[in-house]
Amino acid sequence: MELNNAINDLRAFIRENFKVPADDSDFNDDVHLFDYGYIDSFGAVELTTFVQSHFGVTVKDSDLISYPLNTIRQIAEFIVKREKGEI
Amino acid sequence: MTQITIPLNGIDADCLSQLEYSLSFASEEILSYNVSADGAALELALSSDEAKGRVERKVLELIERYRQRECALPKAIEFQQQRELPVIDAWSGLIERKWITPVGQGHVILRGLAAQLAGLIEDRVERIFGGAFNAERELYPATISCKTLDRIHHFTSFPEHVDFVSHLKGDLDVLNEFTKECRDGGWSPGANQGKMADNDFAICPSCCYHCYEGMENWEVEMPGRCATMVVACHRYEGANHRTMSRLRAFTQRDVVWVGHPRFVIEGRAKAEELIVQWATDWELSGTLETANDMFFTEDYSVKASFQRQQQAKKELRLNIPHENIAISCFSSNFHAMTFGKAFNIKVGGRTASSGCVGWGYERWVYAIFSQFGFDFDAWPGQLKEEFESYRRARESRK
Repeated sequence: MELNNAINDLRAFIRENFKVPADDSDFNDDVHLFDYGYIDSFGAVELTTFVQSHFGVTVKDSDLISYPLNTIRQIAEFIVKREKGEI
Repeated sequence: MTQITIPLNGIDADCLSQLEYSLSFASEEILSYNVSADGAALELALSSDEAKGRVERKVLELIERYRQRECALPKAIEFQQQRELPVIDAWSGLIERKWITPVGQGHVILRGLAAQLAGLIEDRVERIFGGAFNAERELYPATISCKTLDRIHHFTSFPEHVDFVSHLKGDLDVLNEFTKECRDGGWSPGANQGKMADNDFAICPSCCYHCYEGMENWEVEMPGRCATMVVACHRYEGANHRTMSRLRAFTQRDVVWVGHPRFVIEGRAKAEELIVQWATDWELSGTLETANDMFFTEDYSVKASFQRQQQAKKELRLNIPHENIAISCFSSNFHAMTFGKAFNIKVGGRTASSGCVGWGYERWVYAIFSQFGFDFDAWPGQLKEEFESYRRARESRK
């Protein structure tokens, strides 16, 4: 999985699933998804499920604590590294 | 009575306390339970031999939920203040002075100096927090529609603690029969059997929910608005109800922000500074630390880990030396867009975020009497002075 592909898929999922308006100027690949209100604890469950099913990588609850998973880019980097077995 | 022992593997102390809390809702066939002296197993007393298999399956499901390898709950302590405290049984002391009267499971009446202390706390919240945020006062019903609770996912997070409200069916035979049974033998739970209408309301489990449903389809002016309210709330907590540290019926005061996330986060951060100052002023022993809601569903660990990691919930936990525990007396929460999405609340063209801070008045009263006792001369200077001044002002109005 290429980093950019992971970013694109995540961005599309979050936009669609969390109803981010097309003209939302705060929304980008580096915005803090929680601090900016896009994802809450319910959203975390949905996003975790999506990452596991769509990218085929395991996400343990402890990963939510161990790795910075606050932005689209950070989540994509996690997916790529986990897929390569680096983490 | 039948006893069973179930091993606990890989559950740390923090998760164990949450498991113990949840066991109260595992099965009504569990009569009592405790953790073994070495902390390695749960010892449960059951109502019958036949219950063994059923109870074991349910308890194992809960253990799996809280097992350490799945559940990561780091704690960040942002403020800590400790002082040497006497061990005072405030519960007995308050009852003895008739300043509280227990009136059923998890229900208490406050009067006398306990009620006056609650009044001082209310006054301080209004003065310091209401003023700082220019919060608009709102008045709410004590009950809330089940449809509203469903829309905000309450039933898929905290199904165990909802106190539903219902009424007798609108049927003359039912009403006559109910009245006759009460007249003949007095009321008992059996008198309700088969006579209740469907539930459409519950007692508010939290103070701020009406705020969001009341703003459905609003476009809030940037950067957002702040409201404040007091509501008599209910949470059924099974066998966990005790003293005033865990009531079923309690009085909650909230300050709520709805708007742009920066507005909400800044308001919440300022409120946390103010509560730390309050705890310092009154020399309260406790901590302000990250926390998580007690989600009672199988996705508990993801939600709880996420809340802790994002510091979505913090609590001011005050020490109760007599019970050897610390109880949450104030909480600070950031909800992201949960309520904005549920009720289509907009700000600046995007879905609004929300956050709130809340006080449980009975717990504050209990913590203060537990820490400082009944000799007011021995109370911390500023607390004593504010309480005397509040009482004088009340007296002069009579």
